[in-house]
Amino acid sequence: MSRTLNVVRLQLINKQTFIWVPLIVLVAATVVSILIYAMIPGGGPKYGGGGQAPLWVFFAVGLSAMTMTFPFSQAISITRREFFVGTLITAVMGSAFMGVLFLIGGGIEMVTNGWGVNGYVFHLPWVWEAGPLGAFVVYFTLALFFFIVGFTGATVYKTWGPVVVTASSIALALVLLAIVFAITRLELWGETMAGIMQLGALGIALWGLVAVAAFALISFLAFRRAKP
Amino acid sequence: MTAVIEVNDLTKTYKDKNALDRVSLAIEGGAIYGLLGRNGAGKTTLMSILTAQNFATSGEVSVFGEHPYENARVLSRICFVRESQKYPDDATPRHAFAAARLFFANWDQQLAERLVEDFQLPMKQTIKKLSRGQLSAVGVIIGLASRAELTFFDEPYLGLDAVARQIFYDRLLEDYVEHPRTIILSSHLIDEVANLIERVIVIDNGQILLNEETDAVRDRAVTVVGDAARVDSWVGDREVLHRESLGRVASVTVLGRLSDAERAEVAASGLDLAPVSLQQLIVRLTQRAGSTTQEVR
Repeated sequence: MSRTLNVVRLQLINKQTFIWVPLIVLVAATVVSILIYAMIPGGGPKYGGGGQAPLWVFFAVGLSAMTMTFPFSQAISITRREFFVGTLITAVMGSAFMGVLFLIGGGIEMVTNGWGVNGYVFHLPWVWEAGPLGAFVVYFTLALFFFIVGFTGATVYKTWGPVVVTASSIALALVLLAIVFAITRLELWGETMAGIMQLGALGIALWGLVAVAAFALISFLAFRRAKP
Repeated sequence: MTAVIEVNDLTKTYKDKNALDRVSLAIEGGAIYGLLGRNGAGKTTLMSILTAQNFATSGEVSVFGEHPYENARVLSRICFVRESQKYPDDATPRHAFAAARLFFANWDQQLAERLVEDFQLPMKQTIKKLSRGQLSAVGVIIGLASRAELTFFDEPYLGLDAVARQIFYDRLLEDYVEHPRTIILSSHLIDEVANLIERVIVIDNGQILLNEETDAVRDRAVTVVGDAARVDSWVGDREVLHRESLGRVASVTVLGRLSDAERAEVAASGLDLAPVSLQQLIVRLTQRAGSTTQEVR
């Protein structure tokens, strides 16, 4: 177990990866958003998706955890299981850190009335519907989801090759398309949208965690046979 | 001494090529081994499978008496830095050494710092911006300072200049004397490591050609130097590995061990015996193996 926890320390030795880069991207995206809000005339509240920017960092971090850090972990004699579990723990911690940052951002937006310009990056009403804890879960899940997709993609690519990655991406797209087609054909869009609204951001996030678990399972199976 | 590594009938097949072809090998602990062979002979594949970084197609591998795959008990005693080792994105040498320190119980920080000075390695530069030689130095430092009971060096000198390579050989020997362990050094600069290695393993085309003590290998051949005509008459129908001549002087390396009587005979005919270059000997042995397979085709 201590070796697994040492993997967490290994991942955090370079604070840049999990902490500073996401933080810098987040601050930059927020500043740019606020500037844009300030330029938009009219007094109504303004919302934007600039907050998603650091989530893409998590995608890249997930990717490089597999392509770069994993080969290094093999040189210093870490088993695949230790590396996998330790890296996931680190990703959960990093995602929680993101979630807290979003909560703090949302708090500032509430207190300053949207950075003084009535513009919001973090405090999106639909996301905060279920309260701060709900909002935290939403952002946490998003970050973790981006990480695990990057990590799983890179793992499947390395273990089973580009054909499998492409084929499974196409298969996934076809399944989603089939669902959209079925909803359209059966004229269920009204019900579907109502259902999504009823589920709320938090409800969707919880399903997102199920997806994260599924990805983790797939990547673990591929990872057991991965070569650096 | 007990066997640290035991390999039985190990085969690794890539799409159209046998990288390892029914290799069987026992390696005893407490020595420096030279794993010698041409590029693509199977050196890295063998080391990767021994360290569970790669997987065998068939055959058995046992390290410290157990299979190394997903085995922290075994792996924690092994260090294998690859020839083109990858490091975490944005990591500096300082990060890499701090990470290695977490996982090697015998890690010697003082030794690591001394080697950093020896190699004049910039510690705050990210590893991806280092030169080829500096990248090799990072691997060499991890390999030495980890003091793992079983340490693999995979062509560790790539990009290092002659001075840096000598530093590596010197430090390796110094530290090995103080802290005996099993070291496997893969190389194709055979003469450079000849004085370092106690045993020679030659691999060619995925097969082990030779696994012997270095001195015994040297005894397998002899170089005779002197007047060309006399040398040639002495050689007779002995198997010639190598012949060089300059004017009327010839130097011929022939296969086979000389008896004391034969040595006396050499001296009596006014010829000299010279040391055999391990590199020449192994090159010839490898070529011979290659030509036999060609004949079979």
